[in-house]
Amino acid sequence: MAMDTKNVIETRGLKKTFLDFWRRPTVEAVKSLDLTVRQGEVFGLLGPNGSGKSTTIKMLLGLLHPTGGELRVLGARPDDMRAKARIGYLPEVSHLHPFLTPRETLRYYASLFGMTRVEAAKRTEELLAMVDLAQASDRAVGRFSKGMARRVGLAQALVNAPELLVLDEPTSGLDPIGCREVKDLVRILAKTGVTVLMTSHLLADVEDVCDRVAILDGGVLRAEGKIAELLRQPDAVRFLIEGLDDEAAESLRLELEARAGRRVRQDYPAMSLETFFLQVVAKEGRARDFALAPFLARPAAGQREGGTCAEA
Amino acid sequence: MCGGVTASLRRTGGVAGLAVRAALRTKTVAALLVLLAVCVAVLPGVVKGDGTPEGELQILLTYTLGFAFGILCLSTLWAACALFAAEIDNARMQLSAVKPVRAAEFWLGKWLALLCLNALVLAAVYAGVYGQMAWRMRRNGWAEADRPVSRHAAHPVLPTPKEEAREAYEVLRRQDALPKGMSKAAVLKTLEAKADEKYDVINPGEEVRWRFRLKRPVGVKKAEPVTVWIRFDTEFSTREHVTGVCSLSVAGQPERAVKVDLDDFTQNEIEFAVDTRAFTEGTTGTGGLRDFEVAFRHTGNAKRVSALMLRFRKDVELLTPGGTFGANLARAACVQWSVLALLAGFGLTLSACFSLPVAAFVATLLLALTLVGNSVVQAVSEDDEKEWGNRVGIWISRGVSAATRPAMRAEPLTALTRGERLEVDVLGRAALWNVVWLPALFAIAGCWVLRRRELADTD
Repeated sequence: MAMDTKNVIETRGLKKTFLDFWRRPTVEAVKSLDLTVRQGEVFGLLGPNGSGKSTTIKMLLGLLHPTGGELRVLGARPDDMRAKARIGYLPEVSHLHPFLTPRETLRYYASLFGMTRVEAAKRTEELLAMVDLAQASDRAVGRFSKGMARRVGLAQALVNAPELLVLDEPTSGLDPIGCREVKDLVRILAKTGVTVLMTSHLLADVEDVCDRVAILDGGVLRAEGKIAELLRQPDAVRFLIEGLDDEAAESLRLELEARAGRRVRQDYPAMSLETFFLQVVAKEGRARDFALAPFLARPAAGQREGGTCAEA
Repeated sequence: MCGGVTASLRRTGGVAGLAVRAALRTKTVAALLVLLAVCVAVLPGVVKGDGTPEGELQILLTYTLGFAFGILCLSTLWAACALFAAEIDNARMQLSAVKPVRAAEFWLGKWLALLCLNALVLAAVYAGVYGQMAWRMRRNGWAEADRPVSRHAAHPVLPTPKEEAREAYEVLRRQDALPKGMSKAAVLKTLEAKADEKYDVINPGEEVRWRFRLKRPVGVKKAEPVTVWIRFDTEFSTREHVTGVCSLSVAGQPERAVKVDLDDFTQNEIEFAVDTRAFTEGTTGTGGLRDFEVAFRHTGNAKRVSALMLRFRKDVELLTPGGTFGANLARAACVQWSVLALLAGFGLTLSACFSLPVAAFVATLLLALTLVGNSVVQAVSEDDEKEWGNRVGIWISRGVSAATRPAMRAEPLTALTRGERLEVDVLGRAALWNVVWLPALFAIAGCWVLRRRELADTD
C-alpha cells in the first residue's frame, strides 16, 4: 500500500504480537492499527493500561519490531538513521544514567547526534536553562527527585531540536508547575512546526494541548479525530458573557427560554484547579522563574476566567 | 548531523566516554583496583621464595603478573557482559537506541572503553611490578648476572616436528611398516611428539653442529663485542664431568670461530664475545637474518665418561642481546592487553545476545573450557575416544583449543621469566588475532544481533 510521505507518522494494519520463549504468541498488543499524524500537529494517543499505546510508540521508534503491517516515520522506516536524527523521545520513565550530571547527560546525548564539542556545550547550556536546572547541573542525576529527573529527560529529548517529538506520559512525576511548563513547551514547539505525539493518562493534559487524539483499547483504534469535533455536543449551545450582573443574567435567561421554547441552564464557570493552584503559588511568591515564560504566547484552553456561562 | 566519518567518530567517542565514566564511578571498579594494588604490593612479600634472585623474579613475573592478569581477565569478561545486557535490562538502552547511532558504533565505543581502561590498569600493574623489581634489586644488591634480561632466542634451523612426522610417515608407509590398528592421525601425532623429543647423542670424541639464523642484536655498539649465549637446557643432564669445546662462527667461516672450553656442563649458559662485524659485514639472508653455526666437540675420555644427550629442538638455544628488560616487560603487557581486548569483544557480543546472568555464565564457562581445553587435547589417547561420552568432551575441547590456539599462542610471562625477548612477529600475531580478526568477527555477530533484537521491554 502506498503511503503519503507528507505525513510524519503513518501506519497501515500495524500489528504486534508478543511471543514467549518457545515463540508461541502470548499477547496481541496491537491489532491492525491505522494511524496518521500530520506535520505540525499535537497528537494524543489515549487508552487505558495495556491498550497498546507504549507498544505503538516503541514500534514507531524502532525499539520493537512489528509483527505485521506497514510503518513510516518521517517518510522512512523506524530504523533509518536520517529519520532517527530528527526524532526526540521522552519515555514514560526517564531511564537516565544515575552517575552522570545533567550537563554530562545532555552532552552524551548530543554526542550521539554527532554534534561537535562546541555545539553540544552550547545546546546543553540552553536546555539546562530551559528546564531550570542550571543550578543543579553538576549534581548526579541519581540524586534528583522524580520531577527533576523528568526535566533532564525532557531536555535530552530536545537536544537535537527534533522535528518529531514523542512524549510518553510527559507530565508523569511533575508538580503542577512542571506540568504547566511541559504543556506550554509542547504548544510552543507545535507553533514552530514540530510534530508532537504524546500519550497521557491525564486526559485534561491531552485536552489542553492536543489538536487530535486517537483512543486505543485492547490494541484496537476505537476513536480518532480533532478533540473539538469528538467532544462537541451538536444539540447544545453555550454563551459566555463577562461582567453581567445577576439581574441581567436572569432576564436574559428568561428571554432565551422564551425564544428557544425549552429550558435554559445558567451557571458560573470555574477556573481549572491547575490555574487556581498556579495563581496561589504565584501570590505566595513561590512560583519558579519559568524559563519558558518568554514563550508563553496564549492562555491555556482550560484557563477561562470571570464570566457567566449559559447553555441551551 | 548524523552522517560522515567525523560524526561517526563523535558518536563512538560518546559511547566510549559513557562506558569509561560508568566504570570510574562505580564501586566495583574501585574494589577491583584495590584488589590489584594488594596483588602487586602485598603478594610478592607474602609468597615465600627460595631466597635466590631467580626465585624472587619468578614470584614477581609469574605469580604476581599471572594473578593480576587472571583478575583482569575475569573482570574484563564480566564487565563486557554487563555493558549491553545491563543497559537493555534496565531500559537505559532505549534512550540511546532511538538516537542515530549504528550498532557498530555502540559496539566499537564500548569495546574501545574497555581497551582504554585495561591499558591504564595493565600499565599500572606492570609499573608496580617493575618498581618492586627495581626496589628488590637495589635492596638485595643483585649481581649483574642475576638481573632480568631480554634476549633474542633462536633455535636450530630444522624441519618442524610436523614436517618431520610427515616425512617419517611416508618412509614407514613405503616400507609397509606402519603400526597396525592405528589411524593415520594417531600415527602422525605420535611421530610428531617423537620428533619434538628427538635428541642427539654426542659420544666422547664426537662433534655435532647446529645451524642458527640470528637477528642483529639490539642496542650494541660497533666498537664493543656482542655477548652471545648458548643455552643447553637438557633434561638428560649428566652427573659425570663432561668436557668439551663449543665454537660459534658465521656459517661458512669456521676458521673465524670463537671457541670456549667447557669443563663444567652444569652451567647451562655458555657466554661468547663475538665481534660486532659478524652481524654487520657481508651479505645477510632474508629478513636481515644471518646464519651462524654452533659446534660442540665432546673431549671427554671415552673410557671414563658417557655420551651427552641433547634434545636439539628444545634444549639448544642461541641467545643474543634483545634490548632492555623494561621494554620486554612493556611488550608482555601489550600481549596481555591484546588477550584482554579479545575477551572484551567476546563478552560484548555475548552481552548483545543474552541477559547479564546468562552472558556471564556462558562467558565464564567458555573461558574455563579454553583453559582446560589445551590440556585435555594433549592428554587424550586413542583409547579415550572409544567411549561416546568421552568423544563428545574431546571434540568440544579440540574445537575450543583449535579456535583459541592463535590467540593463546604467545606466552609472555614464560618469555619474561626465561629472559627471552618477545619478538615483533609474536606481538604482530597477537595484535592481528586478538585485536583485529577475532574481535571483528565478534563485532559482526554482536551488531547483527543488536540490529535484530528488540531493545524495549515487551510488557
